[in-house]
Amino acid sequence: MFWNLTDSTRKRQSVVCRFPNGKLVLYCKGADNVIYERLADGNYDIKKTSREHLEQFGSAGLRTLCLAYRDLSMDQYKSWNEKFVQAKSSLRDRDKKLDEVAELIEKDLILIGCTAIEDKLQEGVPACIETLSAAGIKIWVLTGDKMETAINIAYACSLVNNDTKQFIISSETDTIREAEDRGDPVEIARVIKESVKQSLRSYLEEARRSLSNTPERKLAFIIDGRCLMYALDPALRVNLLGLSLICHSVVCCRVSPLQKAQVTSLVRKGARKITLSIGDGANDVSMIQAAHVGIGISGQEGMQAVMASDFAIAQFRYLTDLLLVHGRWSYLRLCKVITYFFYKNLTFTLTQFWFTFQTGFSGQRFYDDWFQSLYNVIFTALPVIMVGLFDKDVSASLSKKYPQLYQEGIRNTFFKWKVIAVWGFFAFYQSIVFYYFTAAASQHGHGSSGKILGQWDVSTMAFTCVVVTVNLRLLMSCNSITRWHYFSVAGSIAAWFLFIFIYSAIMTSFDRQENVYFVIYVLMSTFFFYLTLILVPVIALFGDFLYLSLQRWLFPYDYQVVQEMHKDDPHEYSMIRLPERSHLSPEEARSYAISMLPRENSKHTGFAFDSPGYESFFASQQGVCVPHKPWDVARRASMKQQRQQPQRTGRS
Amino acid sequence: AASPAPRSARAPSLPESTAEAAGAGRAARGVYRGPERRGGGGVAAAWGMMMDGSAAGTSNGGSGADGDAARRNNTRMPKYSKFTQQELPACKPILTPKWVVSVFFLVGVVFVPVGVVSLLAAQDVVEIIDRYDHACVPPNMTDNKLAYIKNDTISKECTRILTVTKEMKQPIYVYYQLDNFYQNHRRYVKSRNDAQLRDYKKSNTTTSCDPERFTADGKPIVPCGLIAWSLFNDTYSFTRGKENLTVNKKDISWKSDREHKFAKNVYPSNFQNGALIGGKKLNSSIPLSEQEDLIVWMRTAALPTFRKLYGRIYVDLKANDTITVRLSNNYNTYSFGGKKKLVLSTATWLGGKNDFLGFAYLIVGGLCIFLAFAFTLLYLIKPRKLGDHNYLSWNRHPAGR
Repeated sequence: MFWNLTDSTRKRQSVVCRFPNGKLVLYCKGADNVIYERLADGNYDIKKTSREHLEQFGSAGLRTLCLAYRDLSMDQYKSWNEKFVQAKSSLRDRDKKLDEVAELIEKDLILIGCTAIEDKLQEGVPACIETLSAAGIKIWVLTGDKMETAINIAYACSLVNNDTKQFIISSETDTIREAEDRGDPVEIARVIKESVKQSLRSYLEEARRSLSNTPERKLAFIIDGRCLMYALDPALRVNLLGLSLICHSVVCCRVSPLQKAQVTSLVRKGARKITLSIGDGANDVSMIQAAHVGIGISGQEGMQAVMASDFAIAQFRYLTDLLLVHGRWSYLRLCKVITYFFYKNLTFTLTQFWFTFQTGFSGQRFYDDWFQSLYNVIFTALPVIMVGLFDKDVSASLSKKYPQLYQEGIRNTFFKWKVIAVWGFFAFYQSIVFYYFTAAASQHGHGSSGKILGQWDVSTMAFTCVVVTVNLRLLMSCNSITRWHYFSVAGSIAAWFLFIFIYSAIMTSFDRQENVYFVIYVLMSTFFFYLTLILVPVIALFGDFLYLSLQRWLFPYDYQVVQEMHKDDPHEYSMIRLPERSHLSPEEARSYAISMLPRENSKHTGFAFDSPGYESFFASQQGVCVPHKPWDVARRASMKQQRQQPQRTGRS
Repeated sequence: AASPAPRSARAPSLPESTAEAAGAGRAARGVYRGPERRGGGGVAAAWGMMMDGSAAGTSNGGSGADGDAARRNNTRMPKYSKFTQQELPACKPILTPKWVVSVFFLVGVVFVPVGVVSLLAAQDVVEIIDRYDHACVPPNMTDNKLAYIKNDTISKECTRILTVTKEMKQPIYVYYQLDNFYQNHRRYVKSRNDAQLRDYKKSNTTTSCDPERFTADGKPIVPCGLIAWSLFNDTYSFTRGKENLTVNKKDISWKSDREHKFAKNVYPSNFQNGALIGGKKLNSSIPLSEQEDLIVWMRTAALPTFRKLYGRIYVDLKANDTITVRLSNNYNTYSFGGKKKLVLSTATWLGGKNDFLGFAYLIVGGLCIFLAFAFTLLYLIKPRKLGDHNYLSWNRHPAGR
């Protein structure tokens, strides 16, 4: 007759049914704490048993629901329905009013019992989380599950183990329950707040002590949504954050979407860390949007998370690849590209700068306008793009094998001021070499003709040296050099020579182009040009080479050590070869075929959960052999199919 | 289910060689786990045939094959290429000790001889430099050089005696060198018009030649602009004892300038006619392409200290020869504190007396060889096993988070 939608604040859902005999019953299902709040007095037995069961299920990692009902009389229903219709048709605060009206009827419920659903982790989640922790990423689990379930999942994900010291702030304590029994909401709030405050403070002290005494001991902080609400209070927030940052893992259970976002922005703003949110449900959207990086898992729970996210992946475990491989590579490439851009422009511009001192500060340009304009567009453009596309310090599999390499990114090793300063210093050094070594040339006659070079000859020579050096410097900073690198570097240098050969061979009357008329040919008629062209890049790159050699030997970066460790490995393809072009062995073909099968996913997929082909918890408890899941059937079918496949292909 | 007949009917129509087709057939009949795997061709053919068959939509392919094809078509899997999958074969250079030492050593080994050769070439050059701007001012006017140079009534003739230190083989190049003269000043550099120099029809074009565009009565100046106006006008003549050493002033400018930038049919006009005379006057009956002093002067120098070629003397000079230079000290460098020098120099294949290049090569080469040894020493003194686990930061600071 009516239903109330579940939402994360209500955490329950109700229907009113009319039996054929006219009896009206309200059925309500929801999270245990919500239902228990609304139960009628009495029936303590069933309540107690159910609660025990709930805890048992929860600690077995099952997701639980409570079911309750209430008989309604026709009058009750009618008077309530009037209010309900009124609320439904109100224009202002409709949701709030609907809630209030629902509260009127969802009370004095009689508990029917509870249900439990097994909701297994997705494949590879524990391994993924372990890898990510090793990569120096701190993992917070924000879940709507019960605390027992959440802790269990944390165990499953190896976020928590038996040695871990757990700091639990739960609203399920005796004092709070007593206050709840008394029923005064103000009093309840005060009690909870007080207890949260106290436990936060004591836990923080204890955590600090533990950190200084036994730093290797892992700490976990677990808090439920109700307490979190108070802990997020501005007065307590500092303690919350402090404690959370000390702990190795944080689990927040029973949290609403809003709280997920609040916690995310607490870390983002309070701790000034880079945050990443990953989730698959609509209730993760706010959290995904609150974080720096939002990732949606496209699964059974709809597309909301995916649509709100920056990146979408199909399974939780792909997060390893996304972060440790692609994220890391992107970081390295970006750092390299940006610093290189700094470098190449600084080098180039500083030569102009040094020239200014010797022109009576008149602002005479050193280079021809077209040299300057095309420097970034043609002569040095492509190689750095190649680095941005292809540079890999270590292969994908090594990136995952050594997740600690990711910490270089967390510490921002490659884009610190120090790194930029080193590039800047060498840009400075090189520009001095370019300018003074070539300018010194203009003093004397060159070649046996004794003729003297002019300003444009000198600047063209300097520019040639700059282009050659800057492109070679890029090759020096590459970790992997593909043929595209060679093409682009050689092409850029060749492009310069091609350009200057044509450009200085023609004479147009456009804006002093005559200045550079024939300069390259004049230069090339002297031995001096060639000697300079060899000398200057070598001297310019000398400093960089020295620095790189010393740095590598004395203070190697982690990735460099890993490179050395695997220097003699045969070239391995980082990814699984896609099958179109490659021949598959029967085993590979089968696993490919299986992976292509439509997947039967659990309908109840929560945060990173889906369960292909699990053994039912209940069935295994009772020792009953369960019928195969559709997915299993499909898998077996596929195996059979695979055996037949050769015959089938034979027909084509 | 599988009837071989359609296959054998199709097989001859396939373009593969018989061996391949046979291989494909065997593979297709399901025995391809066997020796065929060694022959890539046969296996590839099997795949090709599969695709071929399903693409053609043969009815006997069965739902399985169609499903296969459908699956392959429906997949959003990107087309595989080594480029897009970033699996291009790559060279992964690592600066191992071997590389470092050999690079340094190689550079050193190449550079030192080049340096030695360049240095020897530069050492062969004999150069006589004589600064005369100060010495040519009459003793009574040293306090007021500006008045001296501006006073036309005072003779600017001056005699300098040069002693040849070492034997100088012809040709001997005569340069003048100016100091503190900013030929690269922005407003100076742009004060010229190349179109006018190149084309007699454009003699009226004097854009950007300010302030030397027109004479007082509005006639265009050819060559216009400050550069031409400030043409150097000191002259030198040389005698050795009684013998006159002629200065050959042909071919002192670059050929490209002479032939393309300064035309044969453009003659100087209205040049140096104003109240202020900047420098040398040009003979208006000689075309610009033959005014080589002007051409040399107008290839502006990069630095405020520069040399320009004045001419060549085709006479060998012996050591201890004394050469008398008669010069007319006309050019005013006194107003900006510039220096004027006369340079006599020989040249080698590398050019004038430029030991900079040789020293640079030698020093860098020597440094590289030194560094090759230094690095060898470093690798011996402070050895580090390549790829040592202990150097990984998480092994160095295990407690760190």
